[in-house]
Amino acid sequence: MPAWPTNPRYISQSTPRVDGPEKVSGRARYSSDIQAPGLLYGMILRSPWPAAKIAEVDLRPALKIPGIKAAITVRDTPFTTRYYGEEIAAVAGVSKQACLDALRAISIKAEPASAFVVKEQDGLDADSPQVWQGAANASAPRTRENGNVDEAFGQCSAVIEGFYTTPVQIHNPMETHGNTVSWTDDGITAWSSTQGISSVRDGLAGSLKLDQSKVRVITDFMGGGFGAKFGAGVEGVLAARLSKEAGAPVRLMLTRFDQALAVGNRPSSFQKIKMGALADGTLHAFEMENYGTAGIGAGGDAGGGGGGANIPAPYLYKVDNARVTQRSVAVNAGSARAFRAPGNPPASFGMESAMDDLAVKLGMDPLDFRLKNDPSPIRRKELRLGADKIGWKQKYRPPGTCPGIVKTGLGCAGAAWPAGGGSPFTQGEAQINPDGSIELRLGVQDIGTGTKTVIAVVAAEILGLTPEQITVRVGDTHYPAGPGSGGSTTCASVSPTVNDVCNQALDQLQKLSGMADARGQNWFEACKKLGISPLTVHGRWQKGLSSSHACGVQFAEVAVDTETGLVTVQKVVAVHDCGLIIDQLTLASQINGGVIMGMGYALYEERVMDDLSGVMLNPNFETYKLPGIADVPEIEVVLVNMPERGVIGIGEPSTVPTAGAIANAVANAIGVRVSSLPITPAKVLAALGKVPPFIKS
Amino acid sequence: MKAFEYATALSPSSARDLIADNGAYIAGGNDLLGRLKEYLDAPARLVNIKAIPGLDTIQYGDDCWTIGSLVTIATLEKDEKIRSALPGLHQAAAEIASPQIRNVATVGGNLAQHSRCWYYRQRDVQCLKKNGDLCYARNSDNRYHSLFSGNDCISPVVSSLGATFAALDATAVVLSGGQELRWSMAEFYADAWKMHLAHNSLKPGDLILRVEIPLSRPRSAYLQASDKHVFDWALVSCAAAADYVDGKLVSPRVALGSISPVPHQMDKANQFLEGKPLDSTTVAHAADLLLANARPLEHNAYKVPMAHALICRTLLKLKG
Ligand SMILES: Cc1cc2nc3c(=O)[nH]c(=O)nc-3n(C[C@H](O)[C@H](O)[C@H](O)COP(=O)(O)OP(=O)(O)OC[C@H]3O[C@@H](n4cnc5c(N)ncnc54)[C@H](O)[C@@H]3O)c2cc1C
Ligand code: SF4
Repeated sequence: MPAWPTNPRYISQSTPRVDGPEKVSGRARYSSDIQAPGLLYGMILRSPWPAAKIAEVDLRPALKIPGIKAAITVRDTPFTTRYYGEEIAAVAGVSKQACLDALRAISIKAEPASAFVVKEQDGLDADSPQVWQGAANASAPRTRENGNVDEAFGQCSAVIEGFYTTPVQIHNPMETHGNTVSWTDDGITAWSSTQGISSVRDGLAGSLKLDQSKVRVITDFMGGGFGAKFGAGVEGVLAARLSKEAGAPVRLMLTRFDQALAVGNRPSSFQKIKMGALADGTLHAFEMENYGTAGIGAGGDAGGGGGGANIPAPYLYKVDNARVTQRSVAVNAGSARAFRAPGNPPASFGMESAMDDLAVKLGMDPLDFRLKNDPSPIRRKELRLGADKIGWKQKYRPPGTCPGIVKTGLGCAGAAWPAGGGSPFTQGEAQINPDGSIELRLGVQDIGTGTKTVIAVVAAEILGLTPEQITVRVGDTHYPAGPGSGGSTTCASVSPTVNDVCNQALDQLQKLSGMADARGQNWFEACKKLGISPLTVHGRWQKGLSSSHACGVQFAEVAVDTETGLVTVQKVVAVHDCGLIIDQLTLASQINGGVIMGMGYALYEERVMDDLSGVMLNPNFETYKLPGIADVPEIEVVLVNMPERGVIGIGEPSTVPTAGAIANAVANAIGVRVSSLPITPAKVLAALGKVPPFIKS
Repeated sequence: MKAFEYATALSPSSARDLIADNGAYIAGGNDLLGRLKEYLDAPARLVNIKAIPGLDTIQYGDDCWTIGSLVTIATLEKDEKIRSALPGLHQAAAEIASPQIRNVATVGGNLAQHSRCWYYRQRDVQCLKKNGDLCYARNSDNRYHSLFSGNDCISPVVSSLGATFAALDATAVVLSGGQELRWSMAEFYADAWKMHLAHNSLKPGDLILRVEIPLSRPRSAYLQASDKHVFDWALVSCAAAADYVDGKLVSPRVALGSISPVPHQMDKANQFLEGKPLDSTTVAHAADLLLANARPLEHNAYKVPMAHALICRTLLKLKG
């Protein structure tokens, strides 16, 4: 069985990002920076209606606009569009302005639907206008039960009921979705902003009927992806078709407006929870009815995968008597896609809120209540660690008892992430040159998480070199295949693979050079003995060096202004484990990002659909609010290194508990619960009973 | 946006000539370019007014300071004399948008900016203010809208400077049809109170030259409440100014932004405060007077307690 080195020099230490200098100096080239000769811009025309039958699309006026080289429809007419912003047509031209003019010149004969539904509550109504003709908007409820719930509630000494809701969250990576695509007689080259170069290649080949060998996808640098950038996407296929039609490369990057409407999102949840505990604080009965929307993707799958609105419940906890009923509601809005830890942040928010509410009802400290009921020894350890760091013992007070107008409060919540393990299909290769330079090539992509750094760290460790000596190449389907970056699996995929490649390479180098140990200071001498031909070694993922199932807990300290309703997060302590830590810096960076994203989910973010017009009201950063640096609290990252578990990914679990922890801290501060995310000043004031009732005139 | 001509004016009168029938002045462009990009406006010509001499300076007179319409918000924020003599104006400027925006945004553009109602700014919604036949906000999502309005549109004035200038009793000097008109802030926004199509009282071609601020109120303050800590619009903003002599208010003025199409003022409240000490009962009563006739809608009633708190806090800040 392979094993990780004990007493490592680089693994588990702090190595700065190997590509940091390129990024901060602007030398890093992203998909939208590619300058191919004859490059055209591409743009998409979107439906201005929430639902419509598109009878005819006349592209001729667009083609008459000077500079326009191609115009296509997304499919043959007639067709149906089901949400505001759905793609109808696309154009390519020599300037953005030409494209904008062309989009407006396209004339559409359409029959907008007279009725539509954009709100989950309305979609529950059996008579609501059908998003998919012939199918009810609300899927049939699916129920799962263990124990005897009805009887169990009778045995509880405290029972709470709550309605915890979370909004649809929009994907807003720094870099929008998009590609620069060149389609020539030799095939397609696509520079894609993607989490999965292989899946984009296969997607393009499949939809455009080309051999996979004729499609090459390159992602040198990538500005973030959180689950919605795996496929070629409608925009990727359109860019390729435009390129073919125009006979020139096309750059089609989405605008923020496009991005808000059509590339997927995190489904909403409306969780009605009833939960009870025995007198000693043991969770005993749990009941949840949940619905949410995945937009036009009705979803309905379990476990919060890519498309469905279902969430895991009762989440971290084992309750002997539990009944969970869930369904998805289709509405005329952009559909869901995987979003950083699908299903988990809403599950954590709902369940952890209920946990605090029940602790209050029981008269128990919420921390003790968790220590009693959390089945995971790792998380219990993390709860104690985090409590220490935030000063729970000294600072915790019963809800609402902080004096003054600005009240402070503490809260915590936990995470579980079932994935995070490695993909057995990962492959890689090393090329060792006679001059001692070495190149590692893996067909994965670094989506900003530090994959290149991880590869350099592991290679340096095995070969006795420094990370700077390793040239890392990823993000090209010409390299040995690797998995998409999802499920927090990349680190646990590449680390064992690089370990295998490097150990094999070392073996061969030692054989060829006749040196017993080619590492470290012997490296150059050994390489020289290769003569004129470089050594290329192929390797693959190995079992036994990684595992899955990270835990994690977070604590939040907030201050709430009870007159303006403004919530200030003062501090977050984030305690996370991910097995063997590869690089502390890139790991802490993932956790910082996770906390900030979770904070946006807790306090600011929400897709607002308008039921009168059917449009999204906030497809911009002005009213789709995201945390800015001044909103971000002090974040204390506490890392729990568990080398015995091997490598586990962290990207997703780090964002799971933040919203629950903040929500609990707010409830602790003001003594009443805001049970609906985002926790806006308006909702805080309403919870405090300060908002006068609305009287219809 | 649609293609347009571009011209630079070198004097106020040439600006007026260049703008012709279907042009628009461009100063910092923060508001105008956003409108063009969303196809809310399609002027045939943009007339750059930034090169007109003299409009970008502050003049510190003995009892009145004059702020040129091209003075940037960053300049207002950083000017040391303003910080000490007109602290409310400094605070209002410092809260606007982000440093990058403040660096280019001008005083004139801030006052003349158009509605931020999310239906108005939505390219595919034709509401009343865009010559459609329905106020969507009134019937649907009005969380950011007005507590007061004199017409069917409930889009609030969002200019933080508008409210602050109102509290300071400032005058906007506007070149209109070859004449200099002198408008109080109430007059500057009067049309927006009366008419759903109006954002302010400016007619096409009217050019804001400067704002004159009397120095009779050495105490001033500004506060806003938003969803976020910085770089976010005010849900409610409040400005107050007065003199405070022997523990009593002299010529107090309070004005609120984001709750009415005009900076919201109540003579009754100002009169009540006259000669009163700054204590919690007094300021609370003033807040009651200011909000007495508020007409909350389905989603914006939270603005009532929020405004109440801000009025009290802003007034109490005048104590120093
Ligand atoms: C994200 C964001 C947040 C913001 N937050 C705030 C805030 O919290 N508070 C706030 O008050 N503002 C806020 N603003 C608005 C910003 O302050 C204004 O957009 C800016 O001040 C406009 O100034 P400008 O010089 O860029 O105007 P421009 O865009 O150049 O002009 C705006 C309008 O005024 C007209 N105009 C300009 N100058 C004159 C003149 N001298 N005479 C006549 N008409 C003129 C133009 O024709 C145009 O119609 C925010 C803006 C953004 C983008
Ligand atoms: S408030 Fe005014 S701008 Fe907004 S929808 Fe109504 S009419 Fe239009």
